[in-house]
Amino acid sequence: MKDIFRTRRMWRPRGELKRRYDVVVVGGGAHGLATAYYLARNHGITDVAVLEKSYIGSGAAGRNTTIIRSNYRTPEGAAFYQQSVELYKGLSRELDFNLLFSQLGHLTLAHSDRALITATERAEVNQLLGIESRLVGLDEIAKLCPELDLSTEVTWPVLGALYHPPGGIIRHDAVVWGLARSADRRGVEIHPYTEVTGIERANGRVTGVRTNRGEIACDAVVSATAGWSTLVADLAGVPLPITTHILQAFVTEPLKPFLDVIIVSSQMHVYVSQTDRGEILIGAEIEPYTTYRGTSTFPFLEYSARHVLELFPQLESARVLRQWTGLCDISPDFSPILGVTEVAGFLVSAGWGTYGFKAAPIVGTTLAELVATKRTPALIAPFALERFSTDTLVSELAAAAVSH
Amino acid sequence: MRLPAQPGERLDRTRPLTFTFEGATVEAFEGDTIASALYAGGRRVFSRSFKYHRPRGLLCCTGSCPNCLMQVDGAPGIRACIEPARAGAVVRAQNVLGSLDRDALAVIGKIGGPFTPVGFYYRTMIRPRWAWPYYEKVLRNLAGLGRVDRHGRRTRRFDTEHRRTQVLVIGGSEGGVTAARAAAAAGEQVVLVDEGLSLELGGLDELGIEVVAPARAIGIYEGGLVPVDAGNVLLRFRAERIVVATGSLDQPLVFPGNDLVGVMLPNGIRRLVREWALRPGERAVVIAPAVEPIVDDLRAAGTEVARVFDLNERPPKEIVARGRKGRLASVRVDGETVACDLLVMSSGRQPAYSLLAQAGARIEYDAATGIFVPRDLPANVEAAGSVAGTSHAVPNLFPASAGKRRFVCLCEDVTTKDVRRAIAEGFDSLELAKRYTTVTMGPCQGRLCHLASVRLYARETGSDEAAIGTTTARPPWSPVTLGLLAGRGHEPVKHTSLHRRHEELGARMMWAGAWRRVHSYGDPAEETRAVHRAVGVIDVSTLGKLVVSGPDAVAFLERLYPNRFVDLKPGRIRYGVLGTDAGRIMDDGTIGRLSEQQLYVTTTSTGAEAVLEWFEWWNAVWRMDVEIVDVTGALAAVNVAGPNARELLGRLTELDVSPDGFRYLDLKEAPVAGTPCLLLRIGFVGELGYEIHCPSPLAEHLWDTLLERGADLGVRPFGLEAQRILRLEKQHIIVGQDTDSESNAIDAGMPWIVKLDKEDFVGKWALEHLQERGPRERLVGFELDGAAVPAEGSQVVVAGRPAGRVTSARWSDELQRSIGLAWVPPALAEEGSRLEIRLNGSLQPAVVRARPFFDPEGTRLRS
Ligand SMILES: Cc1cc2nc3c(=O)[nH]c(=O)nc-3n(C[C@H](O)[C@H](O)[C@H](O)COP(=O)(O)OP(=O)(O)OC[C@H]3O[C@@H](n4cnc5c(N)ncnc54)[C@H](O)[C@@H]3O)c2cc1C
Ligand code: FES
Repeated sequence: MKDIFRTRRMWRPRGELKRRYDVVVVGGGAHGLATAYYLARNHGITDVAVLEKSYIGSGAAGRNTTIIRSNYRTPEGAAFYQQSVELYKGLSRELDFNLLFSQLGHLTLAHSDRALITATERAEVNQLLGIESRLVGLDEIAKLCPELDLSTEVTWPVLGALYHPPGGIIRHDAVVWGLARSADRRGVEIHPYTEVTGIERANGRVTGVRTNRGEIACDAVVSATAGWSTLVADLAGVPLPITTHILQAFVTEPLKPFLDVIIVSSQMHVYVSQTDRGEILIGAEIEPYTTYRGTSTFPFLEYSARHVLELFPQLESARVLRQWTGLCDISPDFSPILGVTEVAGFLVSAGWGTYGFKAAPIVGTTLAELVATKRTPALIAPFALERFSTDTLVSELAAAAVSH
Repeated sequence: MRLPAQPGERLDRTRPLTFTFEGATVEAFEGDTIASALYAGGRRVFSRSFKYHRPRGLLCCTGSCPNCLMQVDGAPGIRACIEPARAGAVVRAQNVLGSLDRDALAVIGKIGGPFTPVGFYYRTMIRPRWAWPYYEKVLRNLAGLGRVDRHGRRTRRFDTEHRRTQVLVIGGSEGGVTAARAAAAAGEQVVLVDEGLSLELGGLDELGIEVVAPARAIGIYEGGLVPVDAGNVLLRFRAERIVVATGSLDQPLVFPGNDLVGVMLPNGIRRLVREWALRPGERAVVIAPAVEPIVDDLRAAGTEVARVFDLNERPPKEIVARGRKGRLASVRVDGETVACDLLVMSSGRQPAYSLLAQAGARIEYDAATGIFVPRDLPANVEAAGSVAGTSHAVPNLFPASAGKRRFVCLCEDVTTKDVRRAIAEGFDSLELAKRYTTVTMGPCQGRLCHLASVRLYARETGSDEAAIGTTTARPPWSPVTLGLLAGRGHEPVKHTSLHRRHEELGARMMWAGAWRRVHSYGDPAEETRAVHRAVGVIDVSTLGKLVVSGPDAVAFLERLYPNRFVDLKPGRIRYGVLGTDAGRIMDDGTIGRLSEQQLYVTTTSTGAEAVLEWFEWWNAVWRMDVEIVDVTGALAAVNVAGPNARELLGRLTELDVSPDGFRYLDLKEAPVAGTPCLLLRIGFVGELGYEIHCPSPLAEHLWDTLLERGADLGVRPFGLEAQRILRLEKQHIIVGQDTDSESNAIDAGMPWIVKLDKEDFVGKWALEHLQERGPRERLVGFELDGAAVPAEGSQVVVAGRPAGRVTSARWSDELQRSIGLAWVPPALAEEGSRLEIRLNGSLQPAVVRARPFFDPEGTRLRS
């Protein structure tokens, strides 16, 4: 207990860059830090530098709405995210840092019979893979979320829902900090305010990176740069089939406990949860246009408010405290792009769109394994970049209208 | 207790009113705010703090701090100091267990609850793992401030107005009013928005300036959009010129006891005295850079000014405020202790620059004045008055002050110790420290804590404010309710023009998108029998309908669809599947050629809007000579299907309806039942059928006549459910149900649609590739042994793994079989292949049927 009151540094202060590392990880978000952590923990590879152009967690990792779930539609996706949820469950203990993971349960509302079919499909796929997930009717929804407006006098009445009890929310910053601390303790160097400006290659292989703080030689570069993925991959001459869009979210002023489950409605283009601080956290879909400008828009607040009130009319008097925006790297099939590229030694974790936070631990373990063994783990094989030239897509689109 | 009338006071003492606070009646005058009335009644504790439940009193009286947040008429988070007192209002305290004066949760502040020290909860309750959910429950219950009624409804009506003006002045500060006057004098159209705090707005209307108050600018958004919260109306302003005159804000000093009840900011004092004629306290100490006006205010109120410390002259080294039960009792300054019940303190004023920052201004620290100032304002945005950076603040840390907690951030109960600890732990950038300590993240939006936290941060890291900089100013500038944002806008339910008829027939309705459609009129099986044996009518008005015309109309569709249309003769129809640029199925429908340059395109009901957008998008890209008119709502449509359809139609029209006169896939224009109609001979349900499109207002007449004149032919209305069974018997797909975002026409069994020899069309490259690659899965019909019908979405299972999926399934009365469509691996797609489908958790055998279950040759359709 005493330890709690003792001030202990989380990580070493940023040091000088070395001239060479075995592995350079670009991006100090959840994925980059997880990859570095598991490289050290699982494979004893500690000569690793994480280069982050701003502060750690400054990207989507510190802006996302933290929904963690595995009730995906494709068997490939569901199996993959399921392992991530399992890892998250043990992560607080492993990192000795409470990530405040609350498995509140996750309800995806169906407002049409078409949506019910998708929900059924997901439930069936999930059950076959041993994931807790089932279709629930209005009675059960009313029990799980008595606050929800279930009347039929609305334009889009709720007809049923997909219920995923293990779905939850987590404290995003804690994930970043916890991973950073443990990676640092195992010898990984974390370099905030260090931007990668070039990737050196020779004979189709990566040989190093250029940064605003000088050049570094290395054998492998892992790009975990989410919304900036195409820019960084371009530095290596690897085109990615990704477009960057913005995704927005907002919180209300903190309210006393109101909502004990996560509500997602693709029909309404919103999802709602309540954080441990009491704020009602509301997110939506990506904006339809591509941009790197992280400014928040007003129409987003208007339409989200409109849609939220269709589900929770009693939130009429709740006040918006803060809105923000993050970048999302959208892939054509709403599945990630993971692993090797045509440039040897240049690996990517990209295409995370609106749903990548939940994947951080599994991305970290599998990419670390790939770096260490030079073999692509079976779990991530379906997400290879190559699938866009062979057209073997893994479509999560049906489930991803609002996918977080 | 009121003072005698003050010059310029807001009160109308001739108009008393009452409201209740925690059930007790409170007297007020028109012009009071809820807080001023409560203050007049002797209340000093207005809230309990977020974490420690410490008593808090009025601090700023300008709506800028968390100290007076209350629950008013059920709405949480109301700043009582700026909320006008309304007769009958029901006011409650929030975030207390018990009462404001005796809050049981105050114990948290004493013993140190789950939130202390900073970062505490990240380090605790990790083991045992099972304990965390329980702990979390406690945590959740303690968090939060206000309450909403869990089962409340929408109660208020909000509107949205779109407004334009030449000059929009935000803030009625002196600078704002001056700017407004100048603009008006120059003949410009001016609107001035003020929170209702300004006392300088008199006489502006005479100058032609429109004053909107009380109202708050929510932010400055892209394109210069300034949404303004004006109570029940959201005004969305666009202006040629935006003048920000939001003034500056008193900044609290940071010292032990700085959050005690009785510690106030100068502006708060001013308002209490001058606007509401209240005596803020009996005996006051003043510590501020500009003391005279404060002393004047206090004297005017008859408050004894016990001691004055002018920070500009000789800043003290140490300040410690002490209290009893959370109320201020004395202040010790550099060793000298003064008993008092009021401490007016400030370190100076900081420009309220947030709106400017949102608009794109750069925020820079000015060491000379000790404040952050806006620089490089974007075009068309100006700063007037003290927001531009004319104020100043003293660097106010009191390193010598020992003792209890000093709060940097009142909203979040963050102390200097918390910030120090965060830095020591390695949260060594402002953004990280902010997230770790949550300083500036509360309801005040950093108004009263940003400057102090940056200063503290700079000192602790041996840096300076300029190097540390600011954090991003995130909108909204003032908290805005969801109700106001939502306005009245909502998506209305859509009814077809035959809706009333369906109701009269006792139809069971269902939701199909925003549409209400007929599920059935009682017995869907019976309805399918009528279609197979006699004739049925169904309302298909929800189909999307577009008229595409112009010299390039055909060429336009040629480029959009994989189908060929150049050879489509006027008067003929073709089934078309619309693809995305990745060759995936987007929608389907019929394309009829009305004339050389005019085509009639129908889409699915749910796809109507998307297809229209898609057409318009490509039209804009290609710039072809085409016009697209959406007639979805203008035309109703009824499908007449069944062996007796020809006979029925023949009775209502002059048209030659003989098999040769009106062939399958013919399109005709002719009156039916005296109504001008467009007739399409097509057959989604697999029987001889005509889709009759007529002007919506005449639909009821057409419908009535069909039912009347077909009575002896056994006519029967049928609903969506019967239609789904009928089309399934034919293995006709429903886009969006049988297809998903990865489905393409080739794998879906319609390769004949795709004309890869056409020059180019949307998605051609992808379809070429798909054809080369061969299918990964195929859409096939299946029938099940036994009567069970799998749920749509059920899985085709191979070796225990999901390998395919059922997209449609029904019991067919006609075939006396359970039938469906499913995507299966190519190896299982051949006629007669055996499948296993998971149904209620166990596997059911099924057989693939590659051809339509009913009338595979299509003779009935073509008859
Ligand atoms: C509003 C919002 C809500 C979301 N909600 C959810 C949700 O509920 N559930 C979920 O699972 N996912 C959600 N996501 C998606 C999720 O946040 C992201 O997919 C995920 O965080 C991406 O991985 P990351 O954390 O590694 O990325 P990031 O945190 O974005 O990390 C990338 C890092 O790379 C750095 N970088 C970029 N270029 C360079 C360079 N050249 N040199 C050095 N560093 C560089 C960036 O500064 C950044 O810190 C949401 C996203 C947003 C924006
Ligand atoms: S006293 Fe009301 S907001 Fe500060």
